[in-house]
Amino acid sequence: MSLHAARVVTGELSKCAGVETDLIDIAKLPLPTNDAGEAIKQADFSAKMNKADALVVVSPEYNHGYSGLLKHVLDSCLKEYIHKAVGIVGVSAGPFGGTRVIQNLLPVMRELGLVTIFWDVNFSSVQKVFTEDGRLLDESYIRRIDKFLKELIWMAKTLRQGRARISID
Amino acid sequence: MAAVTKTDKMICPSCRVEMNHHCDKLVYTTDPQEAEQADPSLGGFIEEFHTCPKCGGGASRHA
Repeated sequence: MSLHAARVVTGELSKCAGVETDLIDIAKLPLPTNDAGEAIKQADFSAKMNKADALVVVSPEYNHGYSGLLKHVLDSCLKEYIHKAVGIVGVSAGPFGGTRVIQNLLPVMRELGLVTIFWDVNFSSVQKVFTEDGRLLDESYIRRIDKFLKELIWMAKTLRQGRARISID
Repeated sequence: MAAVTKTDKMICPSCRVEMNHHCDKLVYTTDPQEAEQADPSLGGFIEEFHTCPKCGGGASRHA
């Protein structure tokens, strides 16, 4: 069901002028599990993170947390994320829409150098929000996604200028 | 009192222009050998992050 949510968000992002999007299904990344961190950096994923000005992390919530796979993938890069914007979309079968997974991801994002926005998207009772083939049944999500993306794009543009033009020295 | 001025700007490998130094990050190594060389007052290394104003490409180096 998280993939359905990711596809809806990617679809809305692709409607935004001047924005290029790429949906990355982390389950398909060929990362080894016998090591972790930047030691297992994967060239294609690293190049995509380098190119990106912003990330949207769409995460299901398991036992109030994020999947080990998501952390494993995020940890494989560092310099690629610095001073870039990130927004988080929580997905859950229960009523809270992944609010706990979002809260638990915030300190991870911060340590990775990503800048979090204050809008989230929460897909609660997700099994009722999409059909089996991924059609969105509740159009009210579109308005919230729109607000979320506007904040994300503003932050991405601002940080892009800052990275390129504003010196720490 | 001494003023410290960094003059060794990083150069973008693609555009050959000076990159902008926009971030210093404390990085905690997981490598035991590297950990011995970490700055004891910080517990890790300072990594500098630079971005090219022309192409937006990023690069980093130990401070």
